[in-house]
Amino acid sequence: MKNAVSGLGLAPDAAMINFPIDMFLPGSDIAALETRKQEFYDALTGWKSAFAQTAAGVTPLLSVEGASYEDALDKANYLLITNLWGDGLPLWPATKQRVDRIIRGTVLPRDHVIGKFPPRGGITTVETCAIALAMAGGRPEYLPVLIAAVEAFLDPESNAEQLQAASGSAFPVVIVNGPIAKQIRLNSGFGCLGPDPQRPAGASIGRALRLIQQNVGGALPGIGAMANYGGNRNTNLVFAEDEESLPQGWLPHCTERHGFAQGANSISLLFANGATNMRRRGAKKETPEEDTLQGMHRMADFMRVPNFTSLGGYEKGTPGVLLIPGVVAQTMARLGWSKKSMREFLWEHSKIPLADLKRNGGPAWIEIDANALTRESIKLDPWPITAKPDNFVIVVAGGGHPTNSYWLQGYSPRVIGREIRVPESFDQLLVDADRDLGCGSDACMI
Amino acid sequence: MVKLDFYDPSGGIEVTQPHAPRLASLTGKRIGIVTNEQWQAFRTLPLLKKLFEQDFPGIEVLPIDAFPQGNALIGDEETARLVKKSGVDAVIIGNAA
Repeated sequence: MKNAVSGLGLAPDAAMINFPIDMFLPGSDIAALETRKQEFYDALTGWKSAFAQTAAGVTPLLSVEGASYEDALDKANYLLITNLWGDGLPLWPATKQRVDRIIRGTVLPRDHVIGKFPPRGGITTVETCAIALAMAGGRPEYLPVLIAAVEAFLDPESNAEQLQAASGSAFPVVIVNGPIAKQIRLNSGFGCLGPDPQRPAGASIGRALRLIQQNVGGALPGIGAMANYGGNRNTNLVFAEDEESLPQGWLPHCTERHGFAQGANSISLLFANGATNMRRRGAKKETPEEDTLQGMHRMADFMRVPNFTSLGGYEKGTPGVLLIPGVVAQTMARLGWSKKSMREFLWEHSKIPLADLKRNGGPAWIEIDANALTRESIKLDPWPITAKPDNFVIVVAGGGHPTNSYWLQGYSPRVIGREIRVPESFDQLLVDADRDLGCGSDACMI
Repeated sequence: MVKLDFYDPSGGIEVTQPHAPRLASLTGKRIGIVTNEQWQAFRTLPLLKKLFEQDFPGIEVLPIDAFPQGNALIGDEETARLVKKSGVDAVIIGNAA
C-alpha cells in the first residue's frame, strides 16, 4: 500500500486498516470489523501522514568499514540485505568506480530519467540502471539492453503497475534480436533460460532488472509484491532469438511483432507467469510429417488450459511464448510450416470447449473482464484462449536438440518492443570483454 | 581499515500531492464507498455502512453500488469524476487485493 500511494505521488503511507486474509475468504467471520470500527472513524478524522515531503536528488552514498576488503564486502552485503535491497545472492556494492565503468555502455546522460518505477514510483534514471547492473555483476556492454528493457517495462501499456504488485507471479521475459545478442554473450541456444558461464549476460541483465523492480519499484515479496510464488524472479528471463537457425523466409520475432528491421538491435518485453517444458518429439517410427503434426497437437494441448491471468492480454497481448529449437524450425520449414501457419494451428487447436470452461468457473472471470471484446468471447464455443492467432509469440531458441520445446505462459496485456541504442565506443567495450572474459567468438566457445 | 562507499540503490521518490485533509467530525457527513467488489466486499462494506450510521447521528453512507464497482472500474477516471460529482465528504476504498 505504501508503494501504491507513493507511486501516485502521495507520501508513502496511507490511512489503511489491515485485517488478516481470513476475513476476506468466503464464509468468513467479519465481526472484527465491529471490534475495530474506531480505526475506521479515526482514519477519516484524525489520521496524519508520518512522512515529510521527500524528493529526488543526488543519489546518496552508503558507507561501511571493515578490517579487510573481505570484511568490508561482507558488511556491505549485510547492509544491503538489512535494508531489503538484496535477493539472497552475493551482491557487488555499486561503488562509484564500478558504476562509472558501467555508465560507459550508454549514449544517454547519467541523470536521464527513464520513468517512475511502479508501484512505489521510484525515479529511475540511467544511473539507477547502472547501479543495479553493478550490483548484479553486470558489465557496461549489457547496459543498452537493460535500459531498453526498463523503457519497455515502464511503457504505460505494459501494465507493469498492476503486474508488479499482483498475486499472479508475473515475471518479465526479455527477448533480444540483432547482432548485439552475440556481441554481449547472450544465450540463444542450450540452456538459454538459465545460467551459462560462457554466455553470462542474460543472468546479469535479468537480475539487474529484478533488483530495480524490487529496490526502486518496491516489489518486495508479501509487501509490495503479492506474488504467491514468484517463480523465475531471481534473474527473470533474458535471452536471444537464435537468428542463425531461422529457416529461410522466417522472420525474427522483433520484425514480425514490432516491425523492426531485420538486423536491428531490439528487445521485446512481455510478462509470463509459467514456464513448461513440452516433449515435442515422437517416440517411435513416425514420419517427419507425423512427428511434426503430433508435436504441434501436443504443444496445443499444453496451451489449452484455463489460464485466466492471460485475459488482460486477450485482445492485444499474448497467451504466451512458444520456444522451438532451430533444428525443429528447419524441419518444419521443409514441410511447409511458417511461424504464421504454426500460430494459426495453435490458435485453432488450443480452443477450450465451453462445457469445460463452465465446469471450472471460467465464464465468471471472462464476464468481469474490463475489455468488451474479451467479455464477448464467452459466446464462442469452443472458446479461443486468445482473440487472434497473431497474439501467439513464437521464437526460435534453445539447443540443437529436437525433443523438447518450451512454453512461457503469458500474463501480458501487451508485448512491448524497444530499439537498443549503443554508444560509439561500443566496439571498445567488446574488446574489453574479450580481455576480461576470454575470446567470445563462436570459434572460442566450447 | 578498509572503507567501501557505494550507492543507495533505491532511487528517489517525489511527493507531488498531499493526502486529502481529514474531517473534523463524522456527524452529519456524506461518505462514499468505492469497491473492487472482491474479497467479500459485498458483506464487509455494508456492515461498515451500518456501523457508521449507527454511531454517528445524521451521517449518510452511500450504498456500495452508488459508484461503478469492480477491478476494472475502481481506478477509472470516470469513477473518480462520479465520486467528485456526488459531493461526498470522504470516501472509503475497499477491499484491497
